[in-house]
Amino acid sequence: MEKHPHLLLWKAVFVLIIIGLGFGVYASSKSIDYTWRWERIPQYILSTEPLEIRSPFDGTVTVDETNKLVTVESDFGDEPLVIKGFDTLLINDGDLVFEGDPLVETKHWNIGPLTWGLIMTLQLSVVSLIFAVIIGLFTGLARISSNPALRYLSVTYIELIRGTPLLVQIFIFYFFIGTVLDLDRFTAGVAALSVFTGAYIAEIVRSGIQSIHPGQMEAARSLGMNYVQAMVNVILPQAFKRTLPPMAGQFINLIKDSSLVSVISITDLTKAGREVVSSTFAPFEVWFAVALMYLILTGALSWAIQRLEKRLSASD
Amino acid sequence: MTNVSDKSIIQARNVEKVYPNGCHALKQVSLDINRGEVVVIIGPSGSGKSTFLRTLNQLETISDGTIHIDDISLTDRKTNINKVREEVGMVFQSFNLFPHKTALGNVALSPIKVKKKTRDVAETEGRELLKKVGLAERMNNYPSHLSGGQQQRVAIARALAMHPKIMLFDEPTSALDPEMVGEVLDVMKSLAGDGMTMVVVTHEMGFAREVADRVVFMEEGELVFEESPDRFFESDNPRLQRFLGQVL
Repeated sequence: MEKHPHLLLWKAVFVLIIIGLGFGVYASSKSIDYTWRWERIPQYILSTEPLEIRSPFDGTVTVDETNKLVTVESDFGDEPLVIKGFDTLLINDGDLVFEGDPLVETKHWNIGPLTWGLIMTLQLSVVSLIFAVIIGLFTGLARISSNPALRYLSVTYIELIRGTPLLVQIFIFYFFIGTVLDLDRFTAGVAALSVFTGAYIAEIVRSGIQSIHPGQMEAARSLGMNYVQAMVNVILPQAFKRTLPPMAGQFINLIKDSSLVSVISITDLTKAGREVVSSTFAPFEVWFAVALMYLILTGALSWAIQRLEKRLSASD
Repeated sequence: MTNVSDKSIIQARNVEKVYPNGCHALKQVSLDINRGEVVVIIGPSGSGKSTFLRTLNQLETISDGTIHIDDISLTDRKTNINKVREEVGMVFQSFNLFPHKTALGNVALSPIKVKKKTRDVAETEGRELLKKVGLAERMNNYPSHLSGGQQQRVAIARALAMHPKIMLFDEPTSALDPEMVGEVLDVMKSLAGDGMTMVVVTHEMGFAREVADRVVFMEEGELVFEESPDRFFESDNPRLQRFLGQVL
């Protein structure tokens, strides 16, 4: 790439435009009649809650000099209770305690509903991704097979899936196939997402394989490798590298598409967001927070794939 | 297999090749090649010489006729073509090295995957072969970091790693810059000196004159003429004369 003149100037222009946009958003948020309550959001992501530890028996308390270690000697000869790692002390050295008396308090981290939603989205995406890659790989290979039955089957599958909306497929998977095969929500959701994404991955795999020079296959076969060995050792590793950028796009799409499974009552990040809105009455803040959490997932993924691309470019 | 001579390792009889688009690439080509013989095939482009070479390891299937490699029929459906290809090394015009593997990785891949050798054994042998083609210093380079001549020498080493009985060369120097042709031809000469059976499609008349035991001239899918090099280049065959007039 040619180095642009006035590099610094144009970078400054970029920063200014971003700041301008940010200010515009801020100003417009002021102009509407809406009270922002950002403080309501964090507890739905992560919250703390005090947890008391109570004495299991009657006894005497000893606290060491550092206030870090509490020992309760039982009056009835039970094994003494030793407590370490707490946040607040509720008793003093030498106190007599009865069974059920609170001794110390620890802060207990509680994962909020938005984080649970994020975890569900992550689970959905990862499981669907694995199946989608497997489906896509085999469909892509079938697509370029010399066997007409395999070829037509894969074309039919790809065209059917790409030609219908994901939302409709999710309903079909949940209400029809889910009823026939007795699938739970999660399985139906994963099935719909992986079948959908698999069709796109199949096309990426096909174009990746076809972009490898036919001489590579000939060279591999001329060395005595059979078709499968040549594919696995020569063609696919090269195709994999070449298809990484479109794959990354597809994986990111998968993460975002997973928000559609909220229609079959899977509490993913989007559905969690909807639930939190109804309890906070702070829709703007919640949706911004949800968007940010999706961005974290997709951003991490595209960062990881860029790293992988860099590592694989060693042979270029 | 009544008339298989015990000397010939390649026997092509009346080989026909018609492409699905109707192009008649090979017409009744018959050629016997003896063990240890170096045969050079020359001819104008489109004469079918590369196609013929590629039929010898079944990268091209044939429409009619028979080919026997070491008494194994290639047209027999029961023949495991992968086994035959282990015995027949091939070097391509465009090298076709595996770009995701180092030079050594290229050489060791097939022995490991096909001959089921351990990585250690395959790489030790691979190093020996790369030394033999003069690339001891370049073993861990990726093909993109090698010159054309070096890539082609790696490709020769890669084919040799399967310990083939026959080596096929498909215009091995045509894609090279002129200053790199010599290093590849030198490797091929030393291979010929070791007694390898070689079939070479090339435009290098000097190589044909110097190394070949026999030179074959093909034109328009037909094998026109075959002769020992000294007599070949003295021949007054009009079609050969016309071709040599164009290239020399």
